[in-house]
Order: sequence, then structure tokens, then C-alpha cells
Amino acid sequence: MKTIIVGIGNPILCDDGVGIHVAQQLKHHITDPQVTIDEAFTGGMNLLDLLIGYERAILIDAVKTQDAKKGEVKRFSLQDMSSVHSCNPHDVSLLQALQLAENIGEKNIPRDITIIGILMKETPCEFGETLSSEIAEAVPKAVEMALTELDKWNLNT
Amino acid sequence: MKTITIDPITRLEGHGKISIFLDNQGDVANAYLQIPELRGFERFAQGRRAEDMPQITSRICGVCPVAHHFASTKALDAAFNVEPTQAAKKLRELMYCGYYIYDHILHFYYLGGPDFVVGPDAPPAQRNVLGVIEKAGVEIGKEVIKHRAYGQKITGILGGKATHPVCGLPGGVSKGLNADEVKDIETMTKSCVEFAQFSLKLFDDIVLKNKDYVDLILSDPYTLKTYNMGLVDDNNKVNFYDGKIRVTDQKGREHKKFDGKDYFKNIREHVEEWSYIKFPYLKDIGWKGFTDGKDSGIYRVGPLGRLNAAEGMATPLADKEYKRFYETLGGKSVNSTLAFHWARLIELLYATERAMELIQDSEITSQNIRNPVGEPGEGIGVVEAARGTLIHHYKLDKKGLIDKANLIVATTNNAGAINMSVADAAKGIIKKGKVNDGLLNMVEMAFRAYDPCFACATHTLPGGLPLEVNIYDANKQLYKKLRHNL
Repeated sequence: MKTIIVGIGNPILCDDGVGIHVAQQLKHHITDPQVTIDEAFTGGMNLLDLLIGYERAILIDAVKTQDAKKGEVKRFSLQDMSSVHSCNPHDVSLLQALQLAENIGEKNIPRDITIIGILMKETPCEFGETLSSEIAEAVPKAVEMALTELDKWNLNT
Repeated sequence: MKTITIDPITRLEGHGKISIFLDNQGDVANAYLQIPELRGFERFAQGRRAEDMPQITSRICGVCPVAHHFASTKALDAAFNVEPTQAAKKLRELMYCGYYIYDHILHFYYLGGPDFVVGPDAPPAQRNVLGVIEKAGVEIGKEVIKHRAYGQKITGILGGKATHPVCGLPGGVSKGLNADEVKDIETMTKSCVEFAQFSLKLFDDIVLKNKDYVDLILSDPYTLKTYNMGLVDDNNKVNFYDGKIRVTDQKGREHKKFDGKDYFKNIREHVEEWSYIKFPYLKDIGWKGFTDGKDSGIYRVGPLGRLNAAEGMATPLADKEYKRFYETLGGKSVNSTLAFHWARLIELLYATERAMELIQDSEITSQNIRNPVGEPGEGIGVVEAARGTLIHHYKLDKKGLIDKANLIVATTNNAGAINMSVADAAKGIIKKGKVNDGLLNMVEMAFRAYDPCFACATHTLPGGLPLEVNIYDANKQLYKKLRHNL
């Protein structure tokens, strides 16, 4: 089962880059050749390009939400999110991108997409390469969660 | 008008927030677009190896990594006092054309185009790329996706990686092209030229043949008579990668022409207490507030700014379209904000034709791709990002480490104009306190035309980049709140 794990984030924007940190950690834990680990900096169409050709995908990203404890790690399905925008203002949302691919008859999009979100109230507006302590503590939790997902699919066992 | 102060805390919230203030009659007194600014870049850059800057700065913004990469590389050329080889310049420009191909396709079909192709009055749920495909047909959808991907592939072959290039070095590039790669790029480019022509025809059929749309494009709320700015070559033709900065007035006459390194002598920045973004203006004209006309130093950049700042396109098909653009819209300058979309497609055609010229150039496979660098010093690099003029300015210490770094990004150059366009759109639609449901879209259309990049590298799930419009009555009480994900 060809599976891709994508850590999403901007590595020079402090906590925003947490998905990248998780992906880098995961590289030490995953040996299964069916599992690819990649990093993405933008969402939408670029993210879709990465996902094409895989049957399953795990996306790891910061999730901005008002009613959460900073650093909490949560599993979402694509359907949980009304707009998986994975945004920048110059792109479409991931949901739209996936819908688009389906509408034009693209067969090779993952049928199972899981999102592992590291929750935070605010996203940083300051350049930097280090994570805050709460978010740094979330990294091993997110790694663990990704490995549990792979277990469920009998991957990396 | 009453003085309006905005609590500084509200400045920190959210992206793309628009505040509209009504007067006693319920008409628009003022409107502000607030954009968060990423902070601390200079401190972040200080002490880093200068050669790392093209990679680092390509990560500043998820929207225009290639533009930052080359503005940075060109600043390093200047700072290390080295002229890249001819072949290196051509390879850089070819890659830059690839970036324009995917970026302009993305904006027209996915972001800006839906307003026209699906229609400005269509419900928001249909006003997106899915609606475009539904209307234009699946086959066209496939072509859109294919050609956007071609642009990415061309950039990827030349840059090492599609989104975050690693090829730019002071004095040249790290990688040349082999014969197979040339063949691949040529095949893709040929197809892109045809697709760009098709896109212009589509714009013709759907927009220009529809009187309502043309009236909308030419309507007052979407007209702004500012100065225009863009890079031009020796013949005053539009150039994305290199040249002199040319500024034209409201009638298309040359106002100034200067080297990129003299940018800071010609441009000043105005500060408003309600905004982190500074508002650049022409120094010799001066800041006269948020107003257009020849006495106001506000200027526009991006596709429309570039076409207005030039005297034509350097390739034959695009130049023909350039002439038709001005014939159709009433001569120079075109001051219609919504004409940005058409200008963008003309630039797409130019990018594909220019890419064709470059890939067929005998020098493109040369391996003489780097000149040795000189002593470290100071340098300014200017390119045209898809959404406007982008400037990197570095001062290096004796060891070649960054001592000072300053950037002026494209959307900042457009900040004054975007703010005015948003206010004009709001004024056109809010009368006597009546807020029409179409407001959000009319306002969105005003600033979407500029293809703004809100210094935003955040792509955090799931919230997207919501546009929030808060309307306040004459007593500054919140009167209505509208929200929509862009």
C-alpha cells in the first residue's frame, strides 16, 4: 500500500514549521519501503502534486484553533475540516484541489487521508527556526500518532 | 469626518481584515485593509552566510519562492561584485519564465478567473476553480492542470526543486542543461505557447464579448489613476528578470527611469498607525494620502503596472496582444483594476514565447555557467515577481556574512493602491447604510485583481486566509460583520 507522510510548514517561521520537525523525526523511525516521507511548504495544488500516485496519505501540520490547548495533538479526517485550506492566498484549498483532480478523472489520488494536527491559538508572525517549548513537546506525540496510524494499516511493522 | 482610531490590539488579529467606517448618512467615510507583516527578518538574517540567502529567502513566502530566490541571487551578484556569465543569465531567465507560466495560470484559472468565467454574481460556492471547470468543460480543466504542471516542471529541471530552487549562486547558477532536458523543456514550452493563446481567446469570448463585464471593468469603483512601475529592457519592453525600473504617469508618459540600485533614492515609505505594512510612494511626487492622480505619489506594480510602465512586449504574439489591450481599453494608461486579469494573460503569453526563444538559444547548453566572485560588499537585487517589483538589499561583512538585510516585497509596493481599490469598491456598493450581499465579492474582486501576497507563509490548517469585513456605524459601533474564506 503506497503511503506518503507529508510534514507541512514553514521552517523559518517558528511554530509554523512544526510539521517539518515531525517529518524529520519520523525519518528515524520508518524503514518500510512502501512509506515515503516528504516535506511541503505550501498547500493546495503543490500539495496535491505530492499526493498523486499514493493510496494513503498522512498530513502533519499546525492547526490554528481558538479553543484548544497549545501543543495538543489531534487526529482529524479530511471530512472534519470544512476547508482544508492549507493556505496561502494564492492557492486553492486542498479539498478544492482534490475535488478538482477527481472531477477531471485523476485516478491516482489517495483514498485515505489522515491529518495530524498540532494545535495552537495563534500562528507566528516572526522569523525564527526554533519551536516554543509547548510545541516542541508536541513533536514526539505527533511522531507517535503517525506511527500508530501506520500500524493500523499494517505498515512499518 | 470624525477621527477614527483603531485599537492596536485589533491590528494583530487575523489576515486580510477590512474595516469600513460609515458616516452619519450611512455612506462610506473610510475603509482600511489591514495586512499582517512578518517580523524580524533583519535579525533573522544577520550573521548568516550570504550564499545561503537565496535558499532561505525562497521560504519567506509560499507564493513567490522563485522570485525571492532570484532577487536574492541578484543582490549577491552585486554584493560580490560579479557579473554572471551570459549562459547563466539565460538559464535564470528561462527558469523565471517557468515560474511565470505556473503562477499566472494558477491565478487566472483558480483565483481571479472565477469572477469572470463563472460570473461576479454567482454564489460563492460556485465561484472557484471547480465552477470554472464546470463551465469550461473537463477537457479544458485537464489542459489547465497540465500546463500549470509544465511550468512547475520547467522550473524544477532548472532549479533542482520545483518550489524551492537551489540553483542560484552569486556569479551564475549551479547547474546547466543537457540535451535531453532541452528537448523536454522545448516540448512543454511549445504546448504552453498554444495554451496561453487559448487562454487569451477564452478571455475574449467570455469577458470581452460580454458588454456587462466590459462595463464592470471600466466602471468607476474599479478605476484608479495612479503612476505605474515595472522593469523594462533597453527598448522599454516588459522584462521580468532584469532591466531598469521605469515609472510612467497616468497618461503613460515616462516619469522616471532608474537602476534598481537607486530604488531607495526614488521611493519613500509612508507609515500609518493602523497598519504594519508601510506604503511606498514616489519621493519626488510625495505622499498626499490615499488618493490618486498626478499629485499623489502612489503607484501600482504587477501585470497592469508593468504593461503601463512599458512600451510593449519583447515577443511578437504578446506584443500584438499588448497593442489590442490598449486599443480596446482606450489607450494609455489603462487604469482599470480589473484589467489586471487581461494583462496577466498577455504576460503569460510573453513568458511562454520568451521561454521558447531561450530554450532554442544555442548558448543554453553551455557549461560556462559561473564566474568567480569578488570581495564581499553591498548589493541590491531587483526582479519582477508575478505580483510586482521585488527588491532585496544586503550589506555583507568582510567574511561574507550578512550584516544588514532589507526586503521590499511586491504587495507592499501595491499596498496604497489596494487599500484605495478596496475603499472604492465599498463606496460603490454601500449607500445609506444598506449593505448588499454582493459587497464581499465586489471588495474581494478589487483586491484579488492584484494577486496580493500577504507576506504570508502561513498555511496553517484549517482556517485558510479568511477575509473579514467589519462595518462600523458613525458611532464606531460594529454594525455588520461578513466573513468569507478566500
